[in-house]
Amino acid sequence: MIGIAPAPPGYLPRSELDRLIAILRDEGRTVIGPIARDGAIVYDEVTSTSDLPAGWTDDQAPGRYRLSQTGSPRLFDFTVGPQGWKRYTQPPRVPTGTAVREDGSVRFEAAVPDPPRLAFLGVRACEIAAMLVQDRALAAGPFVDDDYRARRAAALVIAVQCTRAGSTCFCTSMGTGPEVTEGHDLVLTELDDGFLVEVGSQEGARLMQTLETDPALDTHRAAAAAGVASARATMAGQGVAAEGLPARLMDRLDSPRWIEVADRCLACANCTMVCPTCFCTSVGAVSDLDGMVSTTERHWDSCFNGDFAKVAGGNFRPRRQDRYRQWLTHKFATWHDQFGTSGCVGCGRCITWCPVGIDVREELAAIAPPYEAQLPPVARPPSLDNLVPLPLISVPPNVLAPAEREVDTIVAAVVGVGSETIDTFTLRLEPRDHAILDVSPGQFVMVHQPGFSPIPISVSRVADGLLWLTIRAAGPATQALVRVEPGAEVGLRGPLGEGWPLERAMGRDVVIVAGGIGLAPLRPVIDELLRRPEQFGSVLLAYGARTPQDRLYTGELDTWRRAGLEVSEIVDRAGAEWLGQVGVVTQLLDRRDWRSRDAVAFLCGPERMMTATVSALRTAGITRRRIFVSLERHMDCGIGICGHCQMGPFFVCRDGPVFSVSELGDLFGREGI
Amino acid sequence: MTGQQSAAVELGSGWFGSGLSPHAVSRLADCCASVRTFAAEDIILREGAATETFGIVLDGRVALRLLVPERGAVTVMTVEPGDVVGWSALVPPYRATSTAVAVESTRLLAFESAPLRKALQEDPALAATVYPRVLEAVARRLGATRHQLLDLYGRDQEAVVW
Repeated sequence: MIGIAPAPPGYLPRSELDRLIAILRDEGRTVIGPIARDGAIVYDEVTSTSDLPAGWTDDQAPGRYRLSQTGSPRLFDFTVGPQGWKRYTQPPRVPTGTAVREDGSVRFEAAVPDPPRLAFLGVRACEIAAMLVQDRALAAGPFVDDDYRARRAAALVIAVQCTRAGSTCFCTSMGTGPEVTEGHDLVLTELDDGFLVEVGSQEGARLMQTLETDPALDTHRAAAAAGVASARATMAGQGVAAEGLPARLMDRLDSPRWIEVADRCLACANCTMVCPTCFCTSVGAVSDLDGMVSTTERHWDSCFNGDFAKVAGGNFRPRRQDRYRQWLTHKFATWHDQFGTSGCVGCGRCITWCPVGIDVREELAAIAPPYEAQLPPVARPPSLDNLVPLPLISVPPNVLAPAEREVDTIVAAVVGVGSETIDTFTLRLEPRDHAILDVSPGQFVMVHQPGFSPIPISVSRVADGLLWLTIRAAGPATQALVRVEPGAEVGLRGPLGEGWPLERAMGRDVVIVAGGIGLAPLRPVIDELLRRPEQFGSVLLAYGARTPQDRLYTGELDTWRRAGLEVSEIVDRAGAEWLGQVGVVTQLLDRRDWRSRDAVAFLCGPERMMTATVSALRTAGITRRRIFVSLERHMDCGIGICGHCQMGPFFVCRDGPVFSVSELGDLFGREGI
Repeated sequence: MTGQQSAAVELGSGWFGSGLSPHAVSRLADCCASVRTFAAEDIILREGAATETFGIVLDGRVALRLLVPERGAVTVMTVEPGDVVGWSALVPPYRATSTAVAVESTRLLAFESAPLRKALQEDPALAATVYPRVLEAVARRLGATRHQLLDLYGRDQEAVVW
């Protein structure tokens, strides 16, 4: 690392480890380390070495964990227990803000991180790797989880190199251990009678000086190296074939094994709770009884939970096989696309703590074996010894830097509420801070009402200093939102996401296909096309709805026609009074031909409607690169941190919601993604 | 221009007739074709009755309606210019599956069903070019019906999370 004064390794007799703990405590830190409790090694406060699990060791296997006493004086003679350090860096529940109602107005206050000064004692190489992986997910920008960043920055990392490995350990094949090489302040290696102590940071160097260790002898160094080498040797042949795994895995999205493993999987989410890198969360709101003060808090969630990918129109991963596939492909494949590293560090917790003993190594070998050879059963596959481990990409120095983009909740007053259909309304809001009005067509905002979790709503127009949001009352939060009276206040965060690429449409014909409420995020496109018509070719709006009564913005359709748009409408069914077309929206595109013209298409509606429309448009001569869709996914944070809206390598909230069809490839319209 | 000539021209101008051989066009025009005009609300076919006419919409719009007790006439589909109405004229039991109503002034290239069926029976070459087009029209309608059946914009079955 940069700027660390080279310090030779020291030697600390076991009896002197208390001095290190005392120094840390004297400096105002709470020392968190391993203790034996409830039949497991867990991380909690230690005040002296007598709290450490002397002589305890663990025996781990798929679905099995047992502690036993060896009689040895060693303090770290076990591997990793059920809980990782994320319990302290990304705690299970963290308040994120407060909403206070006062005299008819609303005030939103973001929680100010106030992390305890901790010292982590006994962090293993795989666990440091996990922290570096979470740093990339939560603190590498453009948006940053402030609470996580503060906790990480306030914690000291005193690592311990593993001198033994369990049957579920496979850090060697993930390239994360057992040697500790980065991300630590100090690193200890336990010997028969003490510790080899090495420095990893300036803070570590300072501690080392305070500690006044003896210089390490060659024998100490040799013993330490031999211990780590023995752990490495234990893991030979029990890993995963990590090289090329992302591509292999994404090739096997249709493997029958997903169904087979889903038969065993209980969807209990244990694997994600014990995983030191799984970072997905949900945002919940807790209100006091009179509704005057409500607190939002972020809590751990899991892609195995049934509601995780649920939206108002359905559930994108209703089946267990969809959820298992999401977890495994994210962890081992799309994580690389998102963060430049694998999401697995090889700690083996998901194997040990799976109640039915599902072993990811075995599943990966069955689902995505190396192309060149069918992998022998996981028990002893000798070919794995020669595999080149995937290096964990070193974390850039700015990884714990402040966010490049801040998104605070600002207050907006409701100026008016207009009814569009029986259950769909348009709110016109006047924000106190006009910066939020700088919205690109297709972007969305998170709308926060006291007592409810924030919800994502597309912006349906920006006009005269007002933000227009068109909302269908589908659940409690949206029902409450459409019932607000003029003058009421709500919170807004945004604008968020990537909108429609209007620049791609310049000089070209534009085909806009909307289904139902999908017209809302497209209306700003129409506004923009009408504002500068000379920059675009002809514009066709094809609009499908369930019935004539379910159409949005009926008062504006004729205005658009008069302004030169070709507006064609169709409904699924109608009474005899409807003289327009009845059928499906693709019929509006029948026998159209854009082959000789340069056209761009923007689509928004139910995903099934969009896949049918994409086929119709491709038949009509528009290529997938020029067809853009706006996707609907569950969003809790809106900034790519909660993990809910993932679709393959994408965070729909941050990378989308608008994507070209070619970008999405075969993920678009695929079941269970 | 005689009635047959104008029918032949109209037939060749649309999707259904373009690409038909001159033989097929003249055979169809000769046997039973005429251009008929319907005013808004005129009934072209009545659900359950014998289908007397197979037609191609030249302009205007035709609604296909089903009568539902307590809901009245429900339009399940509209037929736009270029598309066919009355395919049941060619498929047993030759009875209309919905009521076809002109929703605006509509011109139809109409074929009388009995002579049309007779011509298709007697002339396999004619049948071989006409039936695939009819099938395409029906298949397109089936595809659309399936999408309508999904009720994609519906809200009855949906999950409520927010």
